[in-house]
Amino acid sequence: MSLLEFARGPAIHAALIIMVAGFALRLLGVLVLTRGADMSRPRDAFGNFKGYRTVFSRAWPAGEFTTTTRYQTVVAYVFHIALLLVIVGIVPHIEFIQSLTGLSWPAMPNFLGVALGTIALASLFALIFRRLAKPAIYNSTVGDYVAWVVVALPLLTGLMAFAHVGLRYETMLALHILSSALLFAYMPFSKLMHAFWFIFSRAQSGLAYAHKGVRI
Amino acid sequence: MSTAATQANPSQTPVFPSFAEVYQGLAGQIGMLREMAPAPTKSDEQRLKGAVDTLIEETNADEAVWLESCIHCGQCTNACHYFQATGEAKYAPMRKMDLYRRVYQREISPMRWWHRLVSKPVKLSDFEEASELIYDSCSECGRCTMVCPMGIDTASLVHHMRSAMVAAELVPPELAALRMEQKNMGTVFGSSPDALKKMVDTIREQAGVEIPLDKDKADVMVLSSAVDLVANGNGLLATAKIMNHLGVDWTIRSDGFESANFGLLSGDMSLWKHQVDPIIEAAQKVGAKTLVIAECGHAYPALRWNPMLSSGELPFEMMYMSEFLGKQAKAGKLRLTPFDGKVTFHDPCKTGRRGGAFDEPRAVLAAMDADLVEMPANKEYNWCCGGGAGIFLLEDATRLRDESFKIKIREVNDTGAESVVVSCASCRLNFESGRQKNNWDKQVHSLVELVADHLIDDETATKGQARGAAA
Repeated sequence: MSLLEFARGPAIHAALIIMVAGFALRLLGVLVLTRGADMSRPRDAFGNFKGYRTVFSRAWPAGEFTTTTRYQTVVAYVFHIALLLVIVGIVPHIEFIQSLTGLSWPAMPNFLGVALGTIALASLFALIFRRLAKPAIYNSTVGDYVAWVVVALPLLTGLMAFAHVGLRYETMLALHILSSALLFAYMPFSKLMHAFWFIFSRAQSGLAYAHKGVRI
Repeated sequence: MSTAATQANPSQTPVFPSFAEVYQGLAGQIGMLREMAPAPTKSDEQRLKGAVDTLIEETNADEAVWLESCIHCGQCTNACHYFQATGEAKYAPMRKMDLYRRVYQREISPMRWWHRLVSKPVKLSDFEEASELIYDSCSECGRCTMVCPMGIDTASLVHHMRSAMVAAELVPPELAALRMEQKNMGTVFGSSPDALKKMVDTIREQAGVEIPLDKDKADVMVLSSAVDLVANGNGLLATAKIMNHLGVDWTIRSDGFESANFGLLSGDMSLWKHQVDPIIEAAQKVGAKTLVIAECGHAYPALRWNPMLSSGELPFEMMYMSEFLGKQAKAGKLRLTPFDGKVTFHDPCKTGRRGGAFDEPRAVLAAMDADLVEMPANKEYNWCCGGGAGIFLLEDATRLRDESFKIKIREVNDTGAESVVVSCASCRLNFESGRQKNNWDKQVHSLVELVADHLIDDETATKGQARGAAA
């Protein structure tokens, strides 16, 4: 079995199984915990329901915090959107998804895929530079840096394979798939779980404050 | 004192000292608290176990999700006044839940088997070191929650840590001393039922204002607070003037009058409840329809937002003094003389961002035609004064408090107002401290005292009403 065959076969499949099992373990393990009851009378009868707005409203920081959050927010959005488009938009990814699920859709032109991949990688660097430049603001841990490397690797190797730079194409492709496998397997055990937590976390705070008549 | 007050009572000499003197007197008493702090009684192992067990017991899905959600994006750091004031990384809000998260990961998390393999066990010294983050540098003001993209409620996580610190016998000396006083003697700075009675007598004899103490039945039950009873008689005097002026059927009960709750401030949930129960009982006994909480910020969450109390089932409504006054003003019952000059309003964290009483105090200011100018960051985004959640009392937090108050000075100065109105004894003490230390040229008013000073003279009002009735 070649490295590429290993990457395309057992490695990526095992990683996906670990990812799904990990998501389930960590989500269920937390969400089955009891919910503390706030028995105090809400400020208004339907007030609590308004709390769910926070799930959406917190997608952008309030004007009050514009100066301190602009860089992080804008760059993070650029990164997330570019990355998502690359993941679901280029031909080889769609073929991979089709092999797993049978679903497929039209792909974006190659030049656009390369452009978006480059933007995603560049924004990732923009984020780590700021993290390194302002240690007092970020209070970074080892986990923050590991997560950055694990996310950056598939982007870097993917772009290199696509552009035929670095090692032989088959090797670069294998490295791209292996680093993606690492990302999949690592996701549930890291802060990358925020992809799920943000919904619950925002809703909880939104509800707790709405109970008191405060819109956050 | 405002000019309106002098006009309203031209001949009256003050019965009680000014708030500047009140602050100086209290500062002396607070200084003595450290010597009165109890020493730990349990072994280190028991203290550590108590702290960890407390966190395990208090961790529900909400806390777990919040602990899981932090991505270290750094947004909260700049939102915290203690970080802003010092620029020191350790005061970033995200750091304040680190120890809690370690306990969570090792004891509760679905990944605990893994964390037990790779992380070191938590030690009592970890809790000792966290004290500065849990008490001195977090007023549980919740401003960081307003910016967190995950919406993590750091303040409530810090509050669970305070409960753990109670079990670890690591409450800062000042709060520990007051907690023990309230637990063992039911008083705060000696604010006993006798002290209440004496204050009521003083107010009757020297200010000629009647306080209906211990009535059997009353529509409105009013709470007082230790600050009013042992230092600032003007607070209770102002409350009495307003209640009498409104003509409400009210009382203060010596079996439930204390707003201050050092159970809540220290993190002692059982003392919290122990302190709240008699108040609720007294209010039910007198058949109150309204319970008015004195201008004591944390008393609002202690009573009105007490999660352990099914307040929807109680026959009375609980409201903060500013809410009560605001409702009276909105109903047109509070007729006040105009307030001259520009003024700004400081929302106490516990009644504002974490309480939701924004409109009412502003309605009171509107009732005196005040030229209200909001601070650049106001209401939900208001900067904490730096003295909340008991921090005003902590000697170790002096630098943090003083430095962070400079943000408040800047905010108030930006409005161009000559005076700032607060509605919380802690905020007011902290403002007074900041005013004196910085030779700040602003006046600081308490909402309730300001209203009392601006009441339209009783006789004129009565005559006006009588004329109205005759016509």
